[in-house]
Amino acid sequence: MTDLNERYIEKRSFFRRLIVVYAFFGFAFSYFLFQTFSLQVSEYSEYETASIKNKTKEVLVQPVRGIIYDRSGKIIVNNVPTYDLITRPSKIKSIESFLSEISLIINLNSDELGYIKENFDSKARYNRELVVKKNLSEEEISRFEVRSYKFPNTFIDVRYSRYNYYPELFSHAIGYVGGVSSNELTSILGSQKLPQIETIFKYSKGFLIGKTGLESTYDHLLRGKFGKKIYEIDAKGRLLDEREFIKPTNGENIFTTLDIDAQKVAYDQMDNRRGAIVAVEVDTGSIVSYVSTPSFSTNAISNGISSSVFNTLIQDNNKPFFDRAAQGRYSPASTIKPAIGLFGLENKIIDWDFSIDDPGYFILPEDQRVYRGWRTGGHGNVNLNKAMIVSSNTFFFSLAYQSDIYKLINYLSNFGFGTNVCADCFNPDKGLLPSPEWKMNNLNFGWFTGDTVNLGVGQGYLSTTPLQLAYYSALLANKGKSKALSFVFDKNDSKNLYIQSENISDHDWEKLHQSMIGVIESPIGTAKRLQELKTYKVAAKSGTAELVSTETKEDYKIIRENKGNRDHAIIIAFGPMPNPKYAVSVVIENGESGGSVAGPVAIAVLNSLLDK
Amino acid sequence: MKKELTFKNFSIYFDHYLFISITLLSFMGLLFLYSASQGDLNSVIKQSIFVGFGLCLMLILSQPDPDFYKLYSGLFIILSIALMFATMIFGKEINGAKRWLNFGFFTLQTSEIIKIALPVFLASYLYNKPLPISTKHTFITLALICLVFYLVYSQPDLGTGLVVFMAGVYILFLAGLSWKFIFTSFGLLVLSMPFLWNNFLEPFQRQRILTFIDPSNDPFGSSWNITQSKIAIGSGGIYGKGYQEGSQANLNFLPEAETDFIFAVISEEFGFIGICILLALFFFILLRCLYLAFNARDRFCRLAIGGLSLILASTLFINLAMVVGIIPVVGMPMPFISKGGSSLLSFYIAFGIIISMATHKKLMQK
Repeated sequence: MTDLNERYIEKRSFFRRLIVVYAFFGFAFSYFLFQTFSLQVSEYSEYETASIKNKTKEVLVQPVRGIIYDRSGKIIVNNVPTYDLITRPSKIKSIESFLSEISLIINLNSDELGYIKENFDSKARYNRELVVKKNLSEEEISRFEVRSYKFPNTFIDVRYSRYNYYPELFSHAIGYVGGVSSNELTSILGSQKLPQIETIFKYSKGFLIGKTGLESTYDHLLRGKFGKKIYEIDAKGRLLDEREFIKPTNGENIFTTLDIDAQKVAYDQMDNRRGAIVAVEVDTGSIVSYVSTPSFSTNAISNGISSSVFNTLIQDNNKPFFDRAAQGRYSPASTIKPAIGLFGLENKIIDWDFSIDDPGYFILPEDQRVYRGWRTGGHGNVNLNKAMIVSSNTFFFSLAYQSDIYKLINYLSNFGFGTNVCADCFNPDKGLLPSPEWKMNNLNFGWFTGDTVNLGVGQGYLSTTPLQLAYYSALLANKGKSKALSFVFDKNDSKNLYIQSENISDHDWEKLHQSMIGVIESPIGTAKRLQELKTYKVAAKSGTAELVSTETKEDYKIIRENKGNRDHAIIIAFGPMPNPKYAVSVVIENGESGGSVAGPVAIAVLNSLLDK
Repeated sequence: MKKELTFKNFSIYFDHYLFISITLLSFMGLLFLYSASQGDLNSVIKQSIFVGFGLCLMLILSQPDPDFYKLYSGLFIILSIALMFATMIFGKEINGAKRWLNFGFFTLQTSEIIKIALPVFLASYLYNKPLPISTKHTFITLALICLVFYLVYSQPDLGTGLVVFMAGVYILFLAGLSWKFIFTSFGLLVLSMPFLWNNFLEPFQRQRILTFIDPSNDPFGSSWNITQSKIAIGSGGIYGKGYQEGSQANLNFLPEAETDFIFAVISEEFGFIGICILLALFFFILLRCLYLAFNARDRFCRLAIGGLSLILASTLFINLAMVVGIIPVVGMPMPFISKGGSSLLSFYIAFGIIISMATHKKLMQK
């Protein structure tokens, strides 16, 4: 019995213990099953994505950059193909026999051979392509094409470099392209929702991005969108099959409003003097000519330039890289006078009959300080019309003297001074429209009445860019109406801008135009020398911006010995009158005379635009 | 339940539940292996030879009376230990581990043999010891377990070592190890943890455990395996990607796809449904063993069936826990499925012995 009892106890103990262990495993396996369930069912989509991501690799395919046209549809900037010989090392059994055969057709120098030998194995291992030779000559291309059946795994592929047919003409307007920096690339890829991929460019020189000018402002349109080739890869990163090819979207072409002929004329007229020309279509605000000189070749910059040439350009005292049209700050000088005159009319300080006696200078009543005109002895009795034609400083000194500075500043800002007047210019400078607050904050001085008086003739702190002057010129031509300037048709959807005026009638505008026509046509006009240069009427206002303030003409003769001290020559002009189509501004640094130096340039550009 | 097929004077001992389910599992294994090896027919043929041989071996080993195993278990364990020592001396070294003896046509992983010999021997040693097992017998048993564990562990092969250790401990536990001893030693184990950590674990093993606890601390990239394994399992979904369509395995993202991580391949290609079927087969085998253990003819048979079936459970447990990332990667095949002859054979041997013990009735009841 004891034996049986013992056996019973033993058996029961065994069963209990075995059940305990089995229960543990039962619990564990249920847990594994649950774990598998949660991986496969609950988190399925996450792991499915991970699995697809694992086995695919996207290789980006470059889009072709958009072409840039002028206003008549002529190509300014295009992409020029260059041809590279590419091979697939993984399909080639012996590098030696490949090289010995290919070098019969194509010359490989020691650098190229070294590059091939160094990279052959790794490219083969990952099933990547290898550049055998870059920039094939036409002869090499045809020699290879004839024998290409011998090289089933070698082919010619095209890549593009940027080429401007007028490399110096449009260097500032259109600008240049350059290799993309990794930060820029990151943001471009991010904007196209593409992953950051390490082997983005299979064999191209690299992705180009607009660095300046229109190439930069319209880069988002010009560059297009990357396509991709999606490959299946294995764990070692070898490319297996091409699964999908999403074609790149090539960049949009940009149809600019620029006129190659006028641009050429403007550039030639500048004759490498330092300065800028901006010409715009009055109705639309579209920029037809945009020149800053001296210039440089954008092709050289875009496609690689030797550092010595680059350094010469950088160190050039004439600063060829500086875009004077949008960034050069100049006093508008007498070209401001139409705006001041309009201000006088608007605020009823003057009317067209109002006249003063111009003795050649204005004495500020507060401190008896003398503000001189350009002509000793003055212009006698001057009304607004004559004051415009002869550019009487005294008249405008006196008008400004009677003006409220805040009202005046506000009025001038309507003409684009101190603001950005262009919708798509590259880094335009706003110039400076001074105010009492500005002066206090920056120069730590209060505003003097004399400052207001100086503003009346466009001297002093006021500074503008040629771009702003062109806008101002177009605004005057269009009787106070304008659009923001732009380089491109249709893109300019900005609304018409108006000069706020209550007291200025169409009649006033016509009279103003007449006085500006008189600047050229009148025998006493400051730009009368321009009469001969054209067959139609042009309205203009010249200006001479003094860099050094001098009391007498003798003093000026001394300081002009240093060319850099000579006055800047400025003119704004529009025509043909009475229905102006184009408005232009010209600044020639140290050109001394607005009428006779800047004037002919403006007329030549207008002639070209009007085909006259 | 048919336990004997009788042909005239001659009986074949046979458990068709176990035989059919194991055969089914083995053939499924060949199918999975073909896909996991990316259609490598050579390894599948080699594996099928083992399967065929193993099934025959299982059938043959079912025939002797359990008393045969009881009688010769001492001899088996001595031979197994001798093989272990032989491995130490003449073993083939692969990747810094000496685990294999080369017999020309077949390299034997000797730890797989001792994994079976140890529990059978312990069952025969403990079957007549009164309850609870005395301290003396406990220590003798433990000494033997530790010796065998150490031999396997020093190859080094921590995974199999643990299974061998566990196999021994199961027998001891099932035979009636006193609870007092269990709690005392468990307490001591906890206290000696830091000592074991510092003295018994190789730096790479410590790192694996650290990586397991904190996956971001992974200087050697060991959890890359687990990440890929989880992706394979998860991306299989409910229905799987289809046979041979698993990209994780076919494009080599999954490490050790034919051995340790074959479960991930199956999950990827056959989905949750496939896994349920596979695990159901294992559960069936284990539950059948539980039934057989309950109905075994004597204590020796009970202990042996219980212990051997728990080896299957433990191996499967370690394999699954590793694949789903619950424990560090230790290198443990999936029974009957993973590539590898020795492991496969050891389970056929184990089940041959189990069937023998389950089918032979005692001629004379005591």
